[in-house]
Amino acid sequence: MRVTLAMRPAARSFIPIEAEAIVPKNFLSGTDLSVWRGNRELRLDEVFSVFVEGSADRPEDVEVVISGDGTSRLKRVGEYMDGGKITVLGDIGMHCGNFMTGGTIEIHGNADGWLGREMAGGTILCRGDAADYCASGYRGGRKGMTGGTVEVFGRAGDFLAESIAGGTVIVHGDAGDMAGAEMHGGTLVVHADCSRPAANMKGGSCYVYGTAHGMLPTFKRIGTVQHEGRMLIHFIGDIANRGKGNLFVKDYRYLD
Amino acid sequence: MIVKDVVCPFCGCLCDDIEVEVEENRVVAVANACELGTKKLMGEKRMKNPILRDGGTWKDITYDEAIQYTADMLLSAERPLLYGWSGTHGEAQCVGVHMAELVRGVIDNTSSVCHGPSILAIQEVGHPGCTLGVVKNRADLVIYWGANPIDAHPRHLSRYTRYAEGFFLENAFRDRKVIVVDVRRTETANIADEFVQIKPGGDYAVLSALRAIVRGKTEMIPRTVAGVTREQLVRVVDLCKGAKFGAVYFGLGLTMTGGKYKNIRNAIELVSELSRHTKFTISAMRGHYNVYGSNEVNTWMTGYPFGIDFSRGIAFYNPGETTAVDILARKECDAALIVGSDPAAHFPRRCLEHLADIPVVQLDPYPNATTAFCNVQIPVAVTGIDAVGTAYRMDGVPIRTRRVLSTGYPSDEEVLIRMYALMQGAKA
Repeated sequence: MRVTLAMRPAARSFIPIEAEAIVPKNFLSGTDLSVWRGNRELRLDEVFSVFVEGSADRPEDVEVVISGDGTSRLKRVGEYMDGGKITVLGDIGMHCGNFMTGGTIEIHGNADGWLGREMAGGTILCRGDAADYCASGYRGGRKGMTGGTVEVFGRAGDFLAESIAGGTVIVHGDAGDMAGAEMHGGTLVVHADCSRPAANMKGGSCYVYGTAHGMLPTFKRIGTVQHEGRMLIHFIGDIANRGKGNLFVKDYRYLD
Repeated sequence: MIVKDVVCPFCGCLCDDIEVEVEENRVVAVANACELGTKKLMGEKRMKNPILRDGGTWKDITYDEAIQYTADMLLSAERPLLYGWSGTHGEAQCVGVHMAELVRGVIDNTSSVCHGPSILAIQEVGHPGCTLGVVKNRADLVIYWGANPIDAHPRHLSRYTRYAEGFFLENAFRDRKVIVVDVRRTETANIADEFVQIKPGGDYAVLSALRAIVRGKTEMIPRTVAGVTREQLVRVVDLCKGAKFGAVYFGLGLTMTGGKYKNIRNAIELVSELSRHTKFTISAMRGHYNVYGSNEVNTWMTGYPFGIDFSRGIAFYNPGETTAVDILARKECDAALIVGSDPAAHFPRRCLEHLADIPVVQLDPYPNATTAFCNVQIPVAVTGIDAVGTAYRMDGVPIRTRRVLSTGYPSDEEVLIRMYALMQGAKA
């Protein structure tokens, strides 16, 4: 089954729309769903032109395609998703794929903050840039992402994979400040530069294939390793936090 | 007439030993207060009555009309923002939270642009803090980090730290050491026993290095960390470990620089590490006299200290998304009520551009920068001068402010209760 949601041009275009109902599973029982614009509840078809092709009995056979102007205002799309596919033909708003356990979300544009927050399984592909707190945890939480994969083909903002405890996060461009802060498990790979990676890390592995700017002074240099055809410098840390995580960087600069 | 034991409604120190001389219902002299407090208590030219923007001019309106305008504005909004709250008393803040829930809006206070990061860090690792009285009587080491109390909290030093007597200290001035950490040599740095000058943005690295040194891992620290020599870091750690009771006070130099709440988390974790060796505490130098109260009131009423979004009927909290600067910069609200704050003087230009596009009502005794963005401004009594109410000191101690004048202005609480009653009626 293929559900196409084409956004209608809305009059009050700046208020965000919370659309946690847009999860493949929900479309098995029809399209009578609601979304919220601020404090107003709206029917799905007030915000989108809804087209359904074919039918399905299980979420894995449902693909939801979101398109139109203003998709960057949609928040919480794919929250608690457990199977199927969501394709966004444009940008997506905050909290896309929060708490997801299975299935695939593919974003052709950029993703706003908290993409895949506290994700436990499944795959998120972001063809553009991801904003701050991609694959991170929630305020005050001890564990962020615990499983699954997030791959960003553009750049990522600050606090990428904050508190990650499992799963894999790959960013092909630069990442911002504090990538992998409070990391205690899982794998984070940044193909280009980032600043202050793996601050206060306890465990897990963080790879920076570019330069680590503002490298923290509390990582202990072990030696060099060969990793997928690259020579990387291996550190253990964060010593300040009695951490035993692995940080691999191609190059680093202290703020000295 | 001289009014004694007046509570100063300026900064988070909430000094309660002020004497105010009143003649013909005017404050003519203030004793004991600092320059900042004196200026506030002496008052400025207040607005006389509510005003409504009428094209290019202002029109005088009655309180009834202004209150009705605000109620209608909030009721018709899809995502109203109720911001400010630090410059008013707790009783008014309570009504504000009820209003936000009723109209399903977002309520945020000024901590989202000051010590919000401190609260985020406390939510991660807790708050090993204490009251100011404990520091005054016991602390033999005080660290000011990214704070300049001589300019911002002038009496903090004389009432609680550098120049204060301590019950458990024989000669407090001699026995109490003061360390100042900042990116520039401030006035406070000049009275410190040890001044640590950090390169801008280097706080986190220095805190991490200190934690490692406390753990005995000195040899792995580079020769300099963010402009601070390893020798000085070791000297600071020795001072800390040698103290019987240490207290860290941090300001916006730590909360509002790169890394934000992670800096505070690192400082708290340094304090936890030091507490394995001696007694150490850490607290925030809160700015507005009742910004701590707005966090308290919000927390006991909603579970969250600031940035609370009621648009779905339940409280949702996510600083960075549900906080005033973020909402305004993203144009995510369609009306704003400002109480006891002046966002136009402090917010980024992009936020003000949206503020100029939406209806705005402000409750404030004085014309300020935000007046230029208002559709309606309602003058109210000043808490601590002509209104009474509860405020929370920077260490969380509630103190009831006193009234020194009777002016006839309604308090924030009175105005808000009338708005709330109108909105309840309309909803029912």
